[in-house]
Amino acid sequence: MEVDRADGRTPNQRRPVVCTRGILHRAHGSASWAQGDTKVIAAVYGPKSGTRKNENPEKACIEVIWKPKTGQSGKPEREYEMVMKKTLQSICLLNVHPNTTTSIIIQVVNDDGALLPCAINAACAALVDAGTPLKHLAVAVCCCMSENGQILLDPSKIEEQKVKAFVYLVFPNSIASVLPEGSLRPGGEVTELGILTSVTHGVMAVDDYFSCLKLGRPAAAELSDFLRNSLKLKAGSDPSKAG
Amino acid sequence: MEQRLATSLIMTVNEKKFIESALLSDIRVDGRRPFDYRTLTITFGSEDGSSEVQLGQTQVIGFVTSQLVQPYIDRPNEGSFAIYTEFSPMADPSFETGRPTEFAIELGRIVDRGLRESRAIDTESLCVIAGKLVWSIRIDLHIIDNGGNLVDAANIAALAALSTFRRPECTFGGEDGQQLIIHPPDVMEPLPLIIHHFPIAVTFGFIGKENIVVIDPTHYEESVIGGSMTATLNTNGDICAIQKAGGDGVPQSVIMQCLRIASVKAADITTKIKNAVESYNTQRSLRKIKRHDPSPVVICGDHDDDVAKHHMERLNLGSDESNDMEIGRKLNENDKMDKRHSIAKGSGGGPASWDPYSRGVDADALRASLGSRVATPPAIYKEESRQVKPNETKSSKQSSLHEVTKIELETSQPKSLKDAVKPKHKRRNKSTSNAFAH
Repeated sequence: MEVDRADGRTPNQRRPVVCTRGILHRAHGSASWAQGDTKVIAAVYGPKSGTRKNENPEKACIEVIWKPKTGQSGKPEREYEMVMKKTLQSICLLNVHPNTTTSIIIQVVNDDGALLPCAINAACAALVDAGTPLKHLAVAVCCCMSENGQILLDPSKIEEQKVKAFVYLVFPNSIASVLPEGSLRPGGEVTELGILTSVTHGVMAVDDYFSCLKLGRPAAAELSDFLRNSLKLKAGSDPSKAG
Repeated sequence: MEQRLATSLIMTVNEKKFIESALLSDIRVDGRRPFDYRTLTITFGSEDGSSEVQLGQTQVIGFVTSQLVQPYIDRPNEGSFAIYTEFSPMADPSFETGRPTEFAIELGRIVDRGLRESRAIDTESLCVIAGKLVWSIRIDLHIIDNGGNLVDAANIAALAALSTFRRPECTFGGEDGQQLIIHPPDVMEPLPLIIHHFPIAVTFGFIGKENIVVIDPTHYEESVIGGSMTATLNTNGDICAIQKAGGDGVPQSVIMQCLRIASVKAADITTKIKNAVESYNTQRSLRKIKRHDPSPVVICGDHDDDVAKHHMERLNLGSDESNDMEIGRKLNENDKMDKRHSIAKGSGGGPASWDPYSRGVDADALRASLGSRVATPPAIYKEESRQVKPNETKSSKQSSLHEVTKIELETSQPKSLKDAVKPKHKRRNKSTSNAFAH
């Protein structure tokens, strides 16, 4: 059964993505990521000397600062910072620059649903722009489950507020998932390395969660293709174009 | 301590001397003349009241929001506004979160003074129920890139955001006629703010003993200048505020010269802001027309050509869109289908600057490609539309754009995105069947 989404998309359809790298001049790396109307700017400074008090000085430290669109930073912002910090810690090579801090600053420009995945994707692109050594990329998608049991991909703000539950999924984007040019992945199967991060809101059954995973994984594979292609272009190319 | 030193801008003696000696011969490091502004770009977000200003390397984002509050006791029939400046750590490695530095506070105060003391925003029109409910406007300015001269850029961002902000319409209703109803934007058109004039801040830097004056200093120049002055004035020739806080002493004649130059620059910047706001408003009204027109209307081949010409280049893989323009989004989807990637000039204005007949593009090829992908549905739409609205020209063309691209989006998805997900193939058939159903 097809559900009529407000903006005319099908359940399996993401919103158009725009990624721009190198938009800021002072920051070491920067990127803006827009999924439909949701837009986030990420900037990276690092590595800077020294780690914060309770961090392990034998490894690099990742610091995330989340700036909301309006108002003071409160508890939701702290939660986002914590989730992002843990996600990005698992993709960065922490042993390359011990006793340093890499700061990632996220600025929300517009929130129209799927804000945290947008921010994670932006942060990833910004880290690549800064030249931070990474194990692999992180690709984030959002799936939600509507009242009639249908799974929707990449909900907008109105949809997020109406559904029973939604989940933010972050998948690793490793070399194994990129096949040689021209070959289509059969049936959307990707060599699995697991899930990096999964944040759920609301109540959903275990089966529904697995259906969300099944829907999210190929979408993440598409996004990771897009990310790899856009990030492959050298820094010398026009930074105002996508990628 | 060490960390803070490492993160702030350290200029070598050579660099400083170079900037000074170049200025003695009226040359600036970036090639400008002493009284030239950097390139100013003003763009708007998708929502009302959000602006992004780029002044050379400096970037500032402004957001305006409103809420109903109780008025101040001594001003029961006036609304209020407040400015919050955020020096985001992404702008400069020396900016930190937490307490705003004195420079951040000073910037907020300069922008605030320019708007408040000169009564640029009409606060009496923000009153809803005298003494009980008024609108309070909140202006958030986020500095995201510090390339120097943050005051001017922040001021422009605030003015641009205020000009495009719309507050909800509220009327009295209910049984006793005393209940306040706030109408959401799709029910009743929200109202713009009444802004009497634009107070523009112009910053000058004074260097050396010869009192060399530069306008719009970059952050390199800022670390070399001995004193600075910000003059806020409008095009009527009124000086709204002057801020010269400390720094080197400057003779009176130099100050008067600066003010004269500032009034010229203010007129310049005001025109730029007004043009940007106008083009945003036309696009906004076009968007409104699209939303409220559900019936399919005339699809002209000419307009598809414009659509093709007007798009900006995006990546082929993954559907992309241009951030600020609604038209841009539709255009991109059209072009994905065509797989023609050409860099086109951004379509600035609305229908006023849109001349379909000036573009000489192959209409037939486009129509043919349209036809091959989606066989009969466009034909059906055409027939219906001719009967429905023969009179409405431009507004209908906009909505036709919407309808056409809607179909193309659904059918072109399987072609442009290398989808390995099976359900999408099913979707293609379903979308054509939907089109038939219409």
